[in-house]
Order: sequence, then structure tokens, then C-alpha cells
Amino acid sequence: MSAELFHAVASAGMIALAWTILLGLYLLIVVWAERRIAGLIQDRPGPNRVGPYGLFQTLADVPKMFLKEDVTPLYVDRLLHTVAPAIILIPALTTIAIVPLGAPVTIAGRTIPLVVADVNIGVLYLFALTSVSVYGLIIGAWASNNKYSLLGGLRASAQIISYELSMGIAAIAVFVSAGSLRPVAVVEWQGAHVWNCVGQVIGCVIFIVSAFAETNRVPFDLPEAESELVGGYHTEFSAFKFGMFFMSEYANMFVAAAMIVTLYFGGWTLPFVTFTGNFGALLSLGVFLAKVFAWVFVFIWVRWTLPRFRYDQLMALGWKVLLPLSVLNLLAVAWWVASGKGGA
Amino acid sequence: MSAAAVVFAFASGLAIVFALLMVLLKTPVKSVLALVVTFFGLAILSVQLAAPFIAAIQIIVYAGAILVLFLFVIMLLNLNEEAREKDARPVQKALGLVTVVALGGVLLGATLRAPEAPVTRLASGPRVPVADEIPVLGRLLFSDYLFAFEAMSVLLLVAAVGALILSKRRMD
Repeated sequence: MSAELFHAVASAGMIALAWTILLGLYLLIVVWAERRIAGLIQDRPGPNRVGPYGLFQTLADVPKMFLKEDVTPLYVDRLLHTVAPAIILIPALTTIAIVPLGAPVTIAGRTIPLVVADVNIGVLYLFALTSVSVYGLIIGAWASNNKYSLLGGLRASAQIISYELSMGIAAIAVFVSAGSLRPVAVVEWQGAHVWNCVGQVIGCVIFIVSAFAETNRVPFDLPEAESELVGGYHTEFSAFKFGMFFMSEYANMFVAAAMIVTLYFGGWTLPFVTFTGNFGALLSLGVFLAKVFAWVFVFIWVRWTLPRFRYDQLMALGWKVLLPLSVLNLLAVAWWVASGKGGA
Repeated sequence: MSAAAVVFAFASGLAIVFALLMVLLKTPVKSVLALVVTFFGLAILSVQLAAPFIAAIQIIVYAGAILVLFLFVIMLLNLNEEAREKDARPVQKALGLVTVVALGGVLLGATLRAPEAPVTRLASGPRVPVADEIPVLGRLLFSDYLFAFEAMSVLLLVAAVGALILSKRRMD
């Protein structure tokens, strides 16, 4: 094995380890937050027994999930039933690599950008991975050999394809105005000009609605609609396999929130503030995380407030409202840039 | 072995093995999943050829959209076992064999006549700077290849309209 390869593998391993720890902390907080906010909205306490304010509830729940009996039903496809929960976590854990987390840090004369990989194709990488994130769900649904699971998988595949289109076209308008596909450039453009949620209000709304649909969150959680499909795609999963589906939902929520913040809410920038030096970089990281958590809060808030869509309404919204709107938005932004008013 | 050679061997091996699985597996859903893995192998190769844009588009369009639609249709029709034809279809089998031999011959000939082995080319060949790969591609599509580009979109439109007409006729 060459030194170059060893270095690549070793650094990838370090990044993976760091993200695993961060993800664990994030899950700990956000699962607790979801249950407490649900309690708040429904006028009940929510989990408040384990630790201060029930903060360690998730810590108690994870070992429970590990120790529960892992039931594999007789008629499932054993191989796919086992790998599906792992597959669903991969896109969620790898997308975050290209999100710029903060202003560059300078350590011992070297400037280190706070992004794992600043690649040219940038956000396309993100779209590529989110577009395949549905496979874990479809595989799990099909391998379960259960009609409710299959219906959940069917719904998931149709839904993801429908909303991916408008999501992508809305994002193209952002790249057109920023003149680059690199998330770092998109963030810097917003810092220099105006946040895209102001400049491209329609695109922003389309993207957020589509992000809710892509993460299968209420009001678009038809793949697991428990009142009709038992548990949808994860009906036949128990113990830690179910835990992985559960985790992936929250990891996807983080990715979606990070995408919304990066593309439309200025990433780590704040208007009228410039972050300089290492302390500034740390502050900018804090700004980014605060924005992401604000959006995660909105995801939770919406879940416990809105009812679920009906399936035909979901399709009509995707194809007859969001898609034409996103194309019009792209044309308007392209015209604006081509007429020389944009800063690209 | 250099890192590039390891990656090349891994990606092409992945693509070949799963392409074979795609043909040999009897369950349609599994065939589609094998094809997904094949596309990932091809995408890795594109990245190695300094064409990350092509790799991303391949994953988004093929793995992310078209194959999800395939799965949708297969699950909608609930096909669990491939319907085996009763007759062996000797003519089609013979034609298939001829095509395989001809295509294999063309591929083998091209590989043998290549100036260097592909692995060494990948490892030592000059890497094209990819900084403005996408603007270059866009400009080419809307200037030199405009006609081909537009003709292709018309072709896709015709296919979509044709599919619609066929399905409508069956419903009447």
C-alpha cells in the first residue's frame, strides 16, 4: 500500500470518527428535543425523568434498542433485510462532507477551510447522494415481503422522484446567481450580496417544501403513515435495525437543514458582520450550527402542528404547483443574471 | 500498486461483478439494485478520469431517478419472479450470441490496439484541470452541439408522448 493511499484512508477514517461522535451528540440532543417540543405543543410534559429535564432519555433508549430481541420474520429476504438499515445511513452520513461549516481557520500559518471537501461539482455531489438515499428505504420495504411495507416503499419512490425535480431546479437558480456549484462560493456570494432567502423567496419556499418531502417528515410522511400502513417501510424491523431507520431520519433532517442554511440562509455568514481570525471562525461555526438547529426546530414544530397530506394532494402539489413554479423561478433568475444585474 | 490502480481495480471489478449479477439474478428488484451498484462503479471511474461532473450526473439521473422509477414499476406490478418463457426462443438466443461475440471482439480489439495499458495511463497521465469543466461543457452544448442537444430533447419528448398514447389506448 502506497503512502498516498494510506494517508487518504487514514484521514477518511479520522473524519468518519469525528462525524460519528458529533452525530451521536446531535442525535442525543435532537431526539430529546423532538419529544420535549412534542410535549410542549400537546400540553404534556414529555420525557422528564432521566437526568436534568429528561436530557439523558436518549442515552437510556439506545441501550434498550441494542438489547431488544432482533426479530427477523420468516418470509423476508434475509440479505436485503439485513443491509437495508445500513444502506439508509450511508448517504445521510456522507453528504455533510461538502457543507462549509465556518470561516477558514489559520493554524501555524496554514489556512484550513472549515469544510471537509471543497469540490468543484459541490452541491451536485450532495444531490447525487440525497437522490440515492431512498434506496435504503425501498430495499427495506421490498425485503420485508409485507404489503404495508411495499406500499410504503412505493410511496417513497414516487414521492422522492417528484420532489427531487423541483428541489434541483430551485437550487440551479442559486448556482446561476452565485456563478458556481461550490457551496463555499454560494456562501461567500450571499455574504457579499444578499441572502438567497431574500433574493429568491420563491425558490427558497420551493426548496424548503421539497426538503420536507425528501426527508419524509410530516406533512409528507406518507411512506410510514402509521394510521394507514402500520409503520410503512419499517413495519418489519425491530431492535437496532429499527434504530438505524430512526437515526437516519434525524441525520437526514440535519442534512436538509444544513442544505437550506447553506443555499438560502447565508451559511455561516451574518449580515453586517465579518468574521476574522480564529475566534471569528469559531463564532462563524456557532452561527452556522445555530441556524441549522433553528431549522431542525422548524422541522419538529411542523411535524407536531400540521396534518398529513393525502396522496393525490401530495402528487398534485409536487407536479402541478412546485415544478412549474421552480421553472419560472429559474427563468426569472437567469434573465436577471443575463441582463447584467446579478453579481456573477 | 499505486493508489490510482487500486481504485481502478476496485471500481471496475465492482462494475463488472454487479453487471453480471444484474443479468443473472432472477428477481427483478435485485437486478435493479445490482445495476445501481454498477452505476456507482462507473461513477468512480469517471471521477478517476477527472470528470466528476459526469460522475455526479450519472448518479443523479441514472441511479437516483431512472432506477428508482424502475423499482417503482416493478413493485407496482409486484413481480417477484421473472416470468420464464416456455419456448426456448432459439433464433433470439443465436442472435444474442452473435451480438455478444461481435461486441466483445470490438472491445477486445480496441483494448489491444490502445497505446498503453489503461491502468498506467490513469496513474501517470496528465490530469485535466477541472476548475471550469462545467462552463466549458455548457458552452459546448449550446454552441457546437446545439443541434444534437435539441434533437435529443425532441426525441425524449416524442418518447414521452408515445408512452402516453400507448397507455391511454389500452385504457379505452
